[in-house]
Amino acid sequence: MAAPCSRMANRPLWQFITNVRRTGLKHTGVRQISLSSACRAATQTRSKTEGVPSPWKLYGAVCLQRLPVISQERNPIEDQFAELMHQMELERSLLSDHEQRLLEDSERMTRKQADNYDSDEEEADYGGQETITAQDQEDTWEQKLKHFQPALRDRDVGGTPLGSVERCLGDSLVLLVQQTVGKETIWLLPQAQWEAGETLRQTAERGLSSLPGQLCGEADFKATFLGNTPCGVYRYKFPKEVRTERCVGAKVFFFKAFLSAGSASQKEPFLWVKKTELQGYLKPPYLEKVDRFILNL
Amino acid sequence: MFLSLMGVDGHVSQGPWFASVLTLKTSAPLRAEPKKKKKVDPRREQMVRERLKKKLKKLERVPPELIPIEDFTTPAKYMDETRVRGAPQLPFEESERRALLLKEWSRYKQTQHRAEMEAVGLAVEAQREALEELRLESEELYQAALRPDPLLFPFNHQGPSYTPPKAQYEAPEGKYNNITKVYTQ
Repeated sequence: MAAPCSRMANRPLWQFITNVRRTGLKHTGVRQISLSSACRAATQTRSKTEGVPSPWKLYGAVCLQRLPVISQERNPIEDQFAELMHQMELERSLLSDHEQRLLEDSERMTRKQADNYDSDEEEADYGGQETITAQDQEDTWEQKLKHFQPALRDRDVGGTPLGSVERCLGDSLVLLVQQTVGKETIWLLPQAQWEAGETLRQTAERGLSSLPGQLCGEADFKATFLGNTPCGVYRYKFPKEVRTERCVGAKVFFFKAFLSAGSASQKEPFLWVKKTELQGYLKPPYLEKVDRFILNL
Repeated sequence: MFLSLMGVDGHVSQGPWFASVLTLKTSAPLRAEPKKKKKVDPRREQMVRERLKKKLKKLERVPPELIPIEDFTTPAKYMDETRVRGAPQLPFEESERRALLLKEWSRYKQTQHRAEMEAVGLAVEAQREALEELRLESEELYQAALRPDPLLFPFNHQGPSYTPPKAQYEAPEGKYNNITKVYTQ
């Protein structure tokens, strides 16, 4: 009985601390506090294990990332360094076959133009063949290069909408959706409420598959979840009007997933944003926690 | 005639040339000399076989020839002296520029590395906090979260390329002749 008692003693202390911390911050919002069967089931499971109902609602959210498709552009310093390395390698290398041929051809030309030119001697060595000089070959190669059209790196020249997956192909993007939390509709990572009998990862998967686009069958995200462990947590309290003894607030557990395949036709309200653009859409306390585990590597 | 030929036990008494049909047809030389070769020959053959086996074992004990690593042996044509490029004579400014650029590069890489380490540290901290909170909530969910996912590995992902992949691109089929040298030990 010691363990549950100690937890009960600690809980009010933490609540006090978080309360003090949160007085200055804005609350993100509130979910409907109807004591649904889920909440009751949650409290029942808790009471079975410890005899103390948890006042926190659990949510599972998914941080779906589309990894970069093309390599990033080089910084100026990276450009300079790459050039320097190339130059240094060239200086330290031996002459290649092609360069030797160039030298030989130039020597032969000088010998031909010299006064004491012995054509018989030369032709004895080379068998009198019509040789294409290396310089001619180089010229033909350069001509071919001029006619070559390489594929475009950036398909979007600033025209793709924010909701498209084909946005900034060089960066990793995160999926954001608009959901109603309590009274407001805000942008957040797709989440779903936890139901008894499933693990939090399954909740997150359900949250992803139950997106409005997915249900209609338009958008189809194939995500690979990276393990069963949550990568982050966001804990918030409901505003005082909605708070009851049983439900003080909610805890959102985030799970990481990589997008393996996605359809191109996606309408709003999806949003694929880079890490730097998250600031414009997420609320500050939420962003603070989410920013930590979204790696831009 | 018959009775005179037959001896007491049926032995031939009259000499070897008049043997009866019923007796063993043994010739004089066969019966007379003892067969010494029968004992020595198998021994000799055995000795020969043993010597051969020993020789084979000695040959097998030699360690197998090592497969040459072709990347480590410089081909003969690159040892030619005519291929050596002249050492460049860099002006002072150029060498200075290079030294300064190298130093700046090391600084850039250092800041990059530090940022990476910090980011990873933050992510690990976030995960630890999440697990802590989960444990407070429910032990069952916590244990479920700690279980490893068997379906995750082997994990394959196509890394970034220089240009984005074309939609509905059909790669042309073709044959190739593989001329790599295969060594057997």
